[in-house]
Amino acid sequence: MTTETRPEYSSVGKRETRIEGAGKVTGGAIYAADVQVPDMLHCKLVHSPHAHARIVSIDATKALAIDGVERVIVAEDFGQAVKDGSNPAIDASNRGAALLAHKQAVFTGEPVAAVLAETPSAAEEGVEAVEVTYEVLPHVLDLEAAMEDGSPLARPPVSDIDHSEEEAHVTLDVDTEEAEGKPTNVASHVSFTRGDIEAGFAESDVIVERTWRSASMHQGYIEPHATVADFKPATGELTVWAATQGQFMVRDTIMRTLKWPETKLRVIGCELGGGFGGKMTLNSPLVAALSVIAGRPVKLVLTRAEDITAAAPAPRAMINLKTGMKKDGSLTAIEASVVYGAGAYPGAPAAVGALLGTSFYKWPNLKADGYEVLTNHVSVGAIRAPGTHNAMHAVEQNIDEMARQLDLDAGAVRLQNVSQTGDPMASGQEFTKIGLDETVTQAIEHPLWKNREAAKAESTDTKMVGVGLAIGGWLGGLQPAAAEVMLNNDGTVNAVTGVNDITGTNTSFAQILAEELNISLDQINITTGDTKTAPFAGMSAGSKTLFTVGRALREAAIDLREQMFEVAADRLEANENDLELKDNAVSVKGSPDQSLGMDRLASMTTGFGALYKPLVGSGSIAARIQAPGFTAQLVKVEVDTDTGNVELKDFAIVQDVGFAINPLSVEGQMEGGAVQGMGIGLWEEYIYDDDGKLRNAGLLDYRMPTAADVPDIESLIVEVPSEDGPYGARGVGEPSITAGGAAIANAIADAIGARVSEIPATPERVLRALGTVGDGAEAAGS
Amino acid sequence: MSRLIVSARINGEARELLVDERDSLLDALRERAGLTGTKEGCNNGNCGACSVLLDGRLVNSCLVMAAEVEGSDVTTVEGLELGPQQLHPLQSAFLEEAALQCGICTPGFLVSAKALLDTNPDPTEHEVRFWLAGNLCRCTGYDKIIRAVMGAAETMRNTASSSEGA
Repeated sequence: MTTETRPEYSSVGKRETRIEGAGKVTGGAIYAADVQVPDMLHCKLVHSPHAHARIVSIDATKALAIDGVERVIVAEDFGQAVKDGSNPAIDASNRGAALLAHKQAVFTGEPVAAVLAETPSAAEEGVEAVEVTYEVLPHVLDLEAAMEDGSPLARPPVSDIDHSEEEAHVTLDVDTEEAEGKPTNVASHVSFTRGDIEAGFAESDVIVERTWRSASMHQGYIEPHATVADFKPATGELTVWAATQGQFMVRDTIMRTLKWPETKLRVIGCELGGGFGGKMTLNSPLVAALSVIAGRPVKLVLTRAEDITAAAPAPRAMINLKTGMKKDGSLTAIEASVVYGAGAYPGAPAAVGALLGTSFYKWPNLKADGYEVLTNHVSVGAIRAPGTHNAMHAVEQNIDEMARQLDLDAGAVRLQNVSQTGDPMASGQEFTKIGLDETVTQAIEHPLWKNREAAKAESTDTKMVGVGLAIGGWLGGLQPAAAEVMLNNDGTVNAVTGVNDITGTNTSFAQILAEELNISLDQINITTGDTKTAPFAGMSAGSKTLFTVGRALREAAIDLREQMFEVAADRLEANENDLELKDNAVSVKGSPDQSLGMDRLASMTTGFGALYKPLVGSGSIAARIQAPGFTAQLVKVEVDTDTGNVELKDFAIVQDVGFAINPLSVEGQMEGGAVQGMGIGLWEEYIYDDDGKLRNAGLLDYRMPTAADVPDIESLIVEVPSEDGPYGARGVGEPSITAGGAAIANAIADAIGARVSEIPATPERVLRALGTVGDGAEAAGS
Repeated sequence: MSRLIVSARINGEARELLVDERDSLLDALRERAGLTGTKEGCNNGNCGACSVLLDGRLVNSCLVMAAEVEGSDVTTVEGLELGPQQLHPLQSAFLEEAALQCGICTPGFLVSAKALLDTNPDPTEHEVRFWLAGNLCRCTGYDKIIRAVMGAAETMRNTASSSEGA
């Protein structure tokens, strides 16, 4: 669906199947765990069984006696791997540098030793035989308890909080205060204010104040973390094959952690089996260091249980939200306390949550505080739109509840209040051109929303039907990028980028080149180079791959075209302005006989004695203008009031993508994120016992949606062109995950007349909301 | 550690593999036979990424001991193509419908879908969704996978009926 008149293009905007997909359907694509290097050692990790403990001693004698076990490495050994002899594991302030726990372990599952062996099974036996003596320390798991004065500290205080995971996804123009003075579990605090909230609440006709919770969750990638590192002592060269969304980030992290020269470091980002924010640098510095110490290649592939327990899940949140509205539907004030659990190392998206949670509507008065709180859980990482689904769950339930209490249409209320182009965010920064209004309009015109009363009428005594709506969005990441496009002697084109293609972005890149060079997709090859051969590109994260690298490629293609015109103008004795590029040739407009084929142009720039320089188009951009993308999602549910089970009946996602360069892959991004939102709403949750041990560290008990759980998804594309993206495109990957959980919670409330205060909305929580289990305290609109 | 030789037909080819007695079929395929198309997502039967056909029956290869396949026929994703550069209709449909993104679950889905269509050439959408419920995908949201399988089924039925008519 097009909101503005769509320009006519020859290639971009068309549905294209993947140009390089065959490897993925024949088993030929190579992922990091598939990499085999001769003489390779296999690594398995020894994990702390305690949430918080001092490491008294580690005895590897028995492990080293096992046939095939070569080395057992502990934190104290890492000085051997660092160029200046320093040891990054000592007093590590961030997870990336904490290669192995040093002196104390701060979450259950934290690696404390690495066993290197000739086979994976020998390494496993070695892990069993390493004897670690712990002195258990007091731990803290509850977010509210952790914030109280006198709470046990989850870990020693840290300085220099690493926000690189958050920054990889979004560029925020805010100042975060880091904790100072007395040690506390509150690692950072961010605050936004506008107007006078007390005055705002005073003029409200309804005020809703609730505490909303959302669970810690796994990103859900099907490929566990995998890394292979190969250090060659003879040459000093270190090569790393990584399952990562950002090979340059892996390179830079190893460079900083091991003080390693980048001239001696090659990082190869393999085909990636899903990331969703969870695949950045986790084990790469560790495996690199192990290979340097052992002087042999080392491979580490996490087990599924390790990956769930001890990788870097997405944070849980506890959000206290007070909002006011007038009878005419206008908003008056919002007061938000947004608390994210960081786990045992700082790095949670408190600033994102506080900012996005209070910026998508026009709040005349606001006060938002974001807190990042340390506990003895695994430290969190990014996820698709880190922090946003938690915030939207809270805000969208409040908006819905205020509309219900004032007997207003919850869709119309949203349309009346959503932020527009130029409106200020909570930080004061103004929105660039956005299409939130158009997105909400599409959603509330949809039959699923318009016919919601008829849907409710389908309810029976024990099967209650409801329809829910929620909005979400993402500001979009910014990062510079470069790319190169080269003309081949047969007239085809090779391009090189440094960004890992996870979802089919190389096909969209090819569409951009085809558009600018007026050639067909089968004349284009896109190579993802490694960190030694490719020009710099940022991570495949933050909804910015196509937004930034696509722009660099477009510039590179235009540069190549201009270079071709320069040669052709000289050769054809024509003015460059009179030339055109079509049918694989540069011709004088109106004189098709005055023409030079692209193959001919290439040979004139590469042959023996050729007079013209080789044609290499370069593009290099620094993206500075964000292009926020918004979504509105609709869901119809059926709640079984006997069991509390919620069945998803229909789902529609509306999203402003600016311009869909490849609508087929855009739909894929929308549908995939929508289903993650369904998992957030109904099933996915880390469940810990009182000792901080994860009780559901497997894919049966950590329940992700299956094909049988989810309905068909209707994807409705809105196109409000961005100011700065290629052809008006916006980031597409992230908005889709941000609204599903909230929409489901609102649909449940519509069905049963009571709100779950915590997602996922498990049967128990639904029955508690209904008052048939527990004390019935969660009645509607408390 | 003790080793044994397992003889099996893998993708139609007689193979003898020297395996560790503790190896699963998944280990044997990936580490001994060099067939890394079959993926490990969980190693306990929950994700379906390691799906293969064992004597025509769909199994999670992580839950089968390598020693158990002595004398059996094993089909992996590498054995699905109909001929050189001739994709199976399921493989073509997965590409055409964009039924894959990262691709790590794709081999398992393809093998699982083949097992379905081998026994039920005309499944309903409901049957496809429930048959594939043992295969997890995190990228696509499943819609396009379901469409690809339904589309491939139709293609295969049409091919079968036209070759019958010929």
